[in-house]
Amino acid sequence: MKRGWFTLLAIVGVAALAGAPAAQQAPIKVGLAAAVSGGSAASGEAIKRGLSIAIDEVNARGGLLGGRKLELVVRDDEGNPQKGVTIARELVEREKVAAVFGGLHTTVALAQVPVWHELATPYVGTWAAGTNITRNGKKPNFVFRVSANDDEVDKFLVRYAAEQLKRGKPGLLLENTAWGQSNEAGLTKWFGERGVKAVGIEKFNWNDPDMSPQLLRLKQGGADVVMLVANAPEGAQVVKSKAKVGWEVPIVSHWGISGGRFAELTGELSEGVVFVQTYSFFGRQNARGEAVLKALRDKYGVKGPEDVTAPVGTANAYDALHLVALAIEQAKSAEGARVRDALEELKAEYAGLIKSYKRPFTSEQHDALTERDYIMVVWKGGKIVPVP
Amino acid sequence: MYGLVALGYHVTWATSRTLNFSQGHVVMVGAVVAYAVHVAAGWPLVIALGVTVIASAAFGLVVERVAVRPFFRTGSPVWLLSTIALGIIVENVAMLTFGKDARAFPSTLALKPVFVLGAGVYPQELLLPVVGVALMGATQLFYHRTFYGRQLKAVAWDSEAAGLMGIDVPRAVAVAYALSAVLAGVAGVLLAPLLNVSPTMGTLIGLKAFAVAIIGGLGSAAGIVVAGFLYGLVEALVAGYVSTGAREIVGFAVVIAMLVVRPWGLGGARPARRV
Amino acid sequence: MSARAGWIAVAVAAAAVPLVTANTYYLYLAMTIGIFVVVAAGLNVLAGLTGQISLGHAGLYAIGAYTAALAATRLGLGFWTALPLAIAVTAVIGAAVALAALRLSGPYLAMVTIAFGIIVEGALVEWVALTGGPGGIFDIPKPAVGGAPLALGRYYWLVAAAAALALVLTRNLARSAWGRALVAVKSSELAAASLGLSAYRVRTAAFTVSAAFAGAGGALFAFLNGYLSPDSFTLQTSILFLLIVLFGGLGTLAGPLVGAAALVLLPEVVRQFVEYRLILYGSLLLLSVYFLPRGVVGALARPRAARPADSGTGVPSLTQDAGDSPPTAGQAGASSAVALALTGVTKAFGGVRAVAGVTLAVRGGTVHSLIGPNGAGKTTLVNLVSGFDVPDGGTIALFDEGIAGRGPAAIARRGVVRTFQTPQLFEELSVLDNVRVGAAGHRLGWLVAALAGFGGDSPATQARARAALDAVGLGDWAATSAADLPFGHRRRLEIARALAAGARVLLLDEPAAGLAPAEVEALDALLSRLRAGGLTVVLVEHHVELVMAISDRVTVLDEGRVIAEGPPAAVQRDPAVVAAYLGTSA
Repeated sequence: MKRGWFTLLAIVGVAALAGAPAAQQAPIKVGLAAAVSGGSAASGEAIKRGLSIAIDEVNARGGLLGGRKLELVVRDDEGNPQKGVTIARELVEREKVAAVFGGLHTTVALAQVPVWHELATPYVGTWAAGTNITRNGKKPNFVFRVSANDDEVDKFLVRYAAEQLKRGKPGLLLENTAWGQSNEAGLTKWFGERGVKAVGIEKFNWNDPDMSPQLLRLKQGGADVVMLVANAPEGAQVVKSKAKVGWEVPIVSHWGISGGRFAELTGELSEGVVFVQTYSFFGRQNARGEAVLKALRDKYGVKGPEDVTAPVGTANAYDALHLVALAIEQAKSAEGARVRDALEELKAEYAGLIKSYKRPFTSEQHDALTERDYIMVVWKGGKIVPVP
Repeated sequence: MYGLVALGYHVTWATSRTLNFSQGHVVMVGAVVAYAVHVAAGWPLVIALGVTVIASAAFGLVVERVAVRPFFRTGSPVWLLSTIALGIIVENVAMLTFGKDARAFPSTLALKPVFVLGAGVYPQELLLPVVGVALMGATQLFYHRTFYGRQLKAVAWDSEAAGLMGIDVPRAVAVAYALSAVLAGVAGVLLAPLLNVSPTMGTLIGLKAFAVAIIGGLGSAAGIVVAGFLYGLVEALVAGYVSTGAREIVGFAVVIAMLVVRPWGLGGARPARRV
Repeated sequence: MSARAGWIAVAVAAAAVPLVTANTYYLYLAMTIGIFVVVAAGLNVLAGLTGQISLGHAGLYAIGAYTAALAATRLGLGFWTALPLAIAVTAVIGAAVALAALRLSGPYLAMVTIAFGIIVEGALVEWVALTGGPGGIFDIPKPAVGGAPLALGRYYWLVAAAAALALVLTRNLARSAWGRALVAVKSSELAAASLGLSAYRVRTAAFTVSAAFAGAGGALFAFLNGYLSPDSFTLQTSILFLLIVLFGGLGTLAGPLVGAAALVLLPEVVRQFVEYRLILYGSLLLLSVYFLPRGVVGALARPRAARPADSGTGVPSLTQDAGDSPPTAGQAGASSAVALALTGVTKAFGGVRAVAGVTLAVRGGTVHSLIGPNGAGKTTLVNLVSGFDVPDGGTIALFDEGIAGRGPAAIARRGVVRTFQTPQLFEELSVLDNVRVGAAGHRLGWLVAALAGFGGDSPATQARARAALDAVGLGDWAATSAADLPFGHRRRLEIARALAAGARVLLLDEPAAGLAPAEVEALDALLSRLRAGGLTVVLVEHHVELVMAISDRVTVLDEGRVIAEGPPAAVQRDPAVVAAYLGTSA
């Protein structure tokens, strides 16, 4: 192995490592770390759209800190925790972003938590709902979220099942992932508060074609409501399998089935499935809702609300970006630690898309959206409408 | 369900001692093509099926040409990697052209379940084994009754001798790949209404079908058919009585146990050692 | 530029990284490369040296990572205890997998390794109480030295050292008797078995080593990230490991380093094409198997120098060291005893009785020929004696010890060594190394010693290898690659290898087939000399002149039966023999 290329490799390596591009001072960069390729890419794209629309608005107003434009740097975590850590370090260390918006996968977000703290960079989750992403025990906590928090969602879902539907024998049907695990804990806890024990806890894997065995076991266990934690493809198989085993039972679902495709995949079987959302583009919109829909139409050719895939991603990301923009203005700096401090003590009230945010974060509460902000919606004729 | 795809492994293995490790991706290609013709372009299902058969066959030929022929009988299992590589590429191409979301493949047979003896099934699910067995039968007929089929059989028996007899062995291998791809592509169309169409739909099917082919014995069509039913049964039992999570673990543990006890498969013959 | 200087340059560059940059992104990338080098170096032992492809290394990597993480979080063990524990646990599990899997090859082996990977991944998800389930394990403490946790920049040195160590260990292994045995088993499992080397045992060892490396890599990974979840350990990860080794260069020392660097850095460089990531990966894999069958490193390596200067096609002289007797074992006083005794040996294939009750005694220190028409059962008999087939009935005794039914490697270790009709050389090894594999046989020493660099042959073994090579007149060809050896010499090499393996009884299966007349004469001379040295030779041959010239006794087989036996001249006149030969030719 007498190869001169070893030297070459060494030289190139050292040069590449030493020659990091000097950070440009003009724009303020913000990062997006999410899966924008692979199976969940559509949801990553939804987040990217929400951020881009909000950034366009901020830049149209003249940018931040006296004219500095915002610039979005997108990195793909491929749904892989190790890749997530790599891009987290890259966004901060090489791209010098002021803040990072977060992705879809709870495991990736959890793997990144130590990195944000090590590098003192605020992270705002826009999708992954795992409870312990924000409740991570770190002080000061650099992880924020404008999205659902499983614990809060579960409290909301349990209350709906118990108080609106008056059901007392829930069966849990969860995807076999970190997200499902997080909700298993939450649902068990909040049902427990009401003295209710789940009659069964069933799981399924991604791309499973048939959930009949799980449903049958829940049925035999005497469940009178199914609490579902699934994404659209598997959620669709659940309702199909439910029809197959001939079981009339209400389904109360986490938000994973919100994608427009759920209706396409299930046809009329989607009718009547209720689930939680942070926001719905169906029905009457506030001014921001109109603006976002218009931007989606102009920029991305989205025809209407039924064409918005993964709407919560867009809505959460949109509000998250505006909150961070306000924090940067308040901190008068794009420096990570100061932006973090400003986020915890945001003074300006922000009339956002999902709600009006007044002091959204405190040192104790890093979730901007809580149970009170969620809405219950239902599939009706292929559209999502608020539950009456 | 796995039997049909697994049979595709057998067809090429018997002929060339190679196989397409990305057979699952051919299932996906079949479903995606059928979706494009039937759902997106709105043509009748029969035409879609025809186009799928042609497209799958063409894809099989491409696999053979690009990933197998260069390494044919070099003795090294490089074809294993090159076919995996091709599968990865095809998956990405499907993502770019078809999109990443799962889409519904409407079928009148998968709208409403029917109830047989109190258990509900979608008619489509009943169709699967019927068409599957019919296709397996057709494959056997092809082998025994047609000129090409007999050539394939001859090559499967002893490729050197077949070559000396004037049979074009490379062409026979190519035909085997086309046939194998057609089996998988048709399986894709059949599965589409049940599984929905997506670029990643075939991966697990391909893997499990491979497990079935291994259990059944790559050289034995009958063994594969039996193994296909057995594997489905074991999966259903584990999912039904133990837990769904354990299904994959148990399924693949059975595969390993099988191979330790009977390395040449259920229906295969113990290979003679050649000195 | 010498290899040494190249390695020093790489080492210096790698060591300099934390000094040049404090940017943790670059450090993290470099450490990822380092960890992949450790895993890939191990996989390279398996895939490169023994030619076994594993698509389940992510499972082993996972076991290492989780063992280390659990040791650190549950048991409160430090890095320095957790790391060896992870290596040990992974090695043990790897050995168990190997015992189950390595009788298989090709797609069957691929299936078992894939299945193993999936089972491990499934277990990580399902066994929530132990592994934390899909959510994984948090807050793995940073490794500490002297009580103080290591910062990323410091931990880097550790990872870099581990990667360097991994490369050094695999280099040592490749150069040891074990390394040659691994390559030998890959080249020809049959020939290895004929020399007493059990392919199964050797491969199991390789898989275990490879598992230990994967475990070490996993443990380093766990401490690097401080967080583990099952989705880091999928089939994709296994494919990535294999791709690293293939792309870098299967069986080359620098392959894992080049492959890991390329596959970690490439995605970072071409990030704007993220949508095409899989196409890129697939194409890379496809192109590397197409155009770089030996990887980047292999493609850059210069071809090895081949023949000796005076090679030509001449027959090597056998007279050069006629003073020394060839190195054979157990010859003393053997000439009168019966070396090999067959009693009523039968073997049927399907309905065909290939060997139908053969009784035969081969005296020590003689050349005993087996002749007969095609299909008479000669080769089958050789297979039965050498253990490659198991007789249906009868006994076979070597110096009064029953050997029927034992495996070929076990029989070879007792001193019955065979050659093959088509010479089975270890094509990837040099001529000398071929003989050294024979000389070492199953005595490979401690695997750990081989890794540590103490796996060289003993002086006695080396001397025996040299002597065997000289005995057949191939001394000048020692450095030639076996693949480049002319046909006639290939048979000599096989014989030399058998001699080095300590043959007491040498079974030669048609050694004269395809030889030129001059070469046959040389063979005759060689066999005479070996007999003079006390060796017992069983010769299966069609070449009648050779048989008649050299044999002490001749046994004639037809349709699985002995039809005549005696001194050559007597057998030649035997009417039954004449009939058998005329019968077949009519």
